[in-house]
Amino acid sequence: MGMIRSIETVTAQRVIAGKTISVSVVQRKQTPNKLSIAFNAVLGLLKGMWLTLTYFWSPEKVVTRMYPENRDTLQLTERFRGNLRFKFPNETAHKSHAALLEHITHETQTLPEVASEWIRDEDPTRWYHNCTGCSKCEEACPNASIRILTRQGEILEDREIDRFVWRLDSCMFCNACVLACPWDAIEMTGGFENAVYDRRLLVYCLNKLAGPRINLIQDEQDAAVRARMIDPRERFGGPIPMNGAGLPNLPPVALPAPPDVSTGAA
Amino acid sequence: MSVQVRTLDDLLHAPLDADSELTTQEYLVNMGPQHPIAHGSLRVVLRLDGETVKHVIPVPGYVHRGVEKMCEHLTYRQIIPYTDRLDYLSAIMNNWAVAKTVEKAANIPTNERIDTIRTIMSELQRLQSHALWWGVTGMDLGAYTAFLYGFREREIIGEIFEETIGARLTMNYIQPGGLMYDIKPDFAQKVKNLLPYLKGCIEQYETLLSGNVIFQERLRNIGILDGKHAIALGCTGPVLRASGVPYDLRAVEPYGVYDKVNFNVVVGEVGDCWDRYYVRLEEMRESVRIVEQLIDNIPEGPHATIRYNEEIILPEGLHYGQVETARGVFGVFIASDGKNKCPIRLHFRSPNFNNLWIVTAIASGWRIADFISIQSSLDLVIPDIDR
Repeated sequence: MGMIRSIETVTAQRVIAGKTISVSVVQRKQTPNKLSIAFNAVLGLLKGMWLTLTYFWSPEKVVTRMYPENRDTLQLTERFRGNLRFKFPNETAHKSHAALLEHITHETQTLPEVASEWIRDEDPTRWYHNCTGCSKCEEACPNASIRILTRQGEILEDREIDRFVWRLDSCMFCNACVLACPWDAIEMTGGFENAVYDRRLLVYCLNKLAGPRINLIQDEQDAAVRARMIDPRERFGGPIPMNGAGLPNLPPVALPAPPDVSTGAA
Repeated sequence: MSVQVRTLDDLLHAPLDADSELTTQEYLVNMGPQHPIAHGSLRVVLRLDGETVKHVIPVPGYVHRGVEKMCEHLTYRQIIPYTDRLDYLSAIMNNWAVAKTVEKAANIPTNERIDTIRTIMSELQRLQSHALWWGVTGMDLGAYTAFLYGFREREIIGEIFEETIGARLTMNYIQPGGLMYDIKPDFAQKVKNLLPYLKGCIEQYETLLSGNVIFQERLRNIGILDGKHAIALGCTGPVLRASGVPYDLRAVEPYGVYDKVNFNVVVGEVGDCWDRYYVRLEEMRESVRIVEQLIDNIPEGPHATIRYNEEIILPEGLHYGQVETARGVFGVFIASDGKNKCPIRLHFRSPNFNNLWIVTAIASGWRIADFISIQSSLDLVIPDIDR
């Protein structure tokens, strides 16, 4: 029985591996007599108890964040590595930044039918993207979570992105694809609430349009030709394993009819 | 204290000694792979006589993912996020080990700014790791309050990481030839504001646990490991230093800017659980000292010396590099054929694997409750053992 009352460190020089380094040696000063041991033992317990008790009258020291309740005010940092997303340069013109963040956060939550609503409702210029389909991200990905499907463009007669397939289920959010992208086409966002009831919904297309980069579309003056350059792409659908497709004991997800990509796909 | 090499099968099927006087019998008990103090999936088979531990048989492998084999198909940049998932509490240091090895082999230069930021981040990570360990040790020994205090500091340092890097646990921050992102302009000020707070927290740790008589009784003179056996068993880090061997790579083979800062290597005298506990607390103070010296003058410069997409091919041969993580020496051994972007063989020398096996040498003869103290004081991270 004993009680370590105070711990002192003594600085000294020691030689190890032919090198003299300064060390601090942990030494214990133990209390000698029994009365002192009992006193210090009780004192130590009371001190610890006191520290805990102080939280009763100074609740401002509490650092707990009430997560599900504070969702509306939750501020994630700019570099937070959450869900991968396409950068849409025209998008901020359509929505405020706050509304955009809200949209990004809940994007993966939506059902396939809701996710493809934009095709009917919205202006396609909003979804012009920077991606050229160069596959640098696919090469950089350590888990093969990215699959780039390209197609031969009709107007510009060059390879262009058809589907950018991202597997959320095998992604480890290492940011390699974002750093590898030479065109600044993708980003990691603040979306982290990824729970779905069906794992088939964790594989999906990031691009909303199949077509060339934004500047190549915007260089074209004729609106009719511009419209022919692009084709809509839904979030789910297309010839991708698990992208809404059936699994053993699981029927396919009820999706809108996918567009015919057999002519254009790589 | 003795170390015997026997197979798991031998140990499990060895005859159980019967004690004729007390009509008791030895028996085997699995502690883990699912157990509150196992901190992960570590199975430990205990040969018990009553409550006395006669023999400890660690059985790792429940989180084996074959990371080293996977790395044979990955480029050197792709290996780095996998090292986050070994010792996840020392993710930045593990990243640095790979980056250091690759940089040395492929002659990729770094600059003063990169080295300084790497050192600061590593020391913050060490603080974070030791804060978590302190809380978990308290929880293992019955003090749940400590767990909440340890996590408080961990989260506050995590905020800094999240702002700079974008992740709290699996950082993937240190890349060959630089850093993933440059620090933000207000990074230095934020860290400077944090340091006095952390010092106060370490004092709170002393009040809450170090001064607690129950806690002291459960650590003092338990599981004594002397320096000779510590070296023979290959253990490193605070476990080795608590046994009185002042071996710290930061001082012995300085890397980064560790040769430009003043800090003491903390060593213990007895080598028991208390020394392992207190050496870590002192190391936190030393880490604060290191960051204090560096944070005021981070040199200017680019945050990466090579482009991200630049192909890295190591020359033919064997390459080794090591760093001091929060748990000991983490080494990366790469065999390259000089043609491929990937290593042909790769091995991680992980500190926890060696630190684990000292329980076979020091835990015999103690009670089950003491075994909990011993295992907590080793600060094991199970994915680092299994890989």
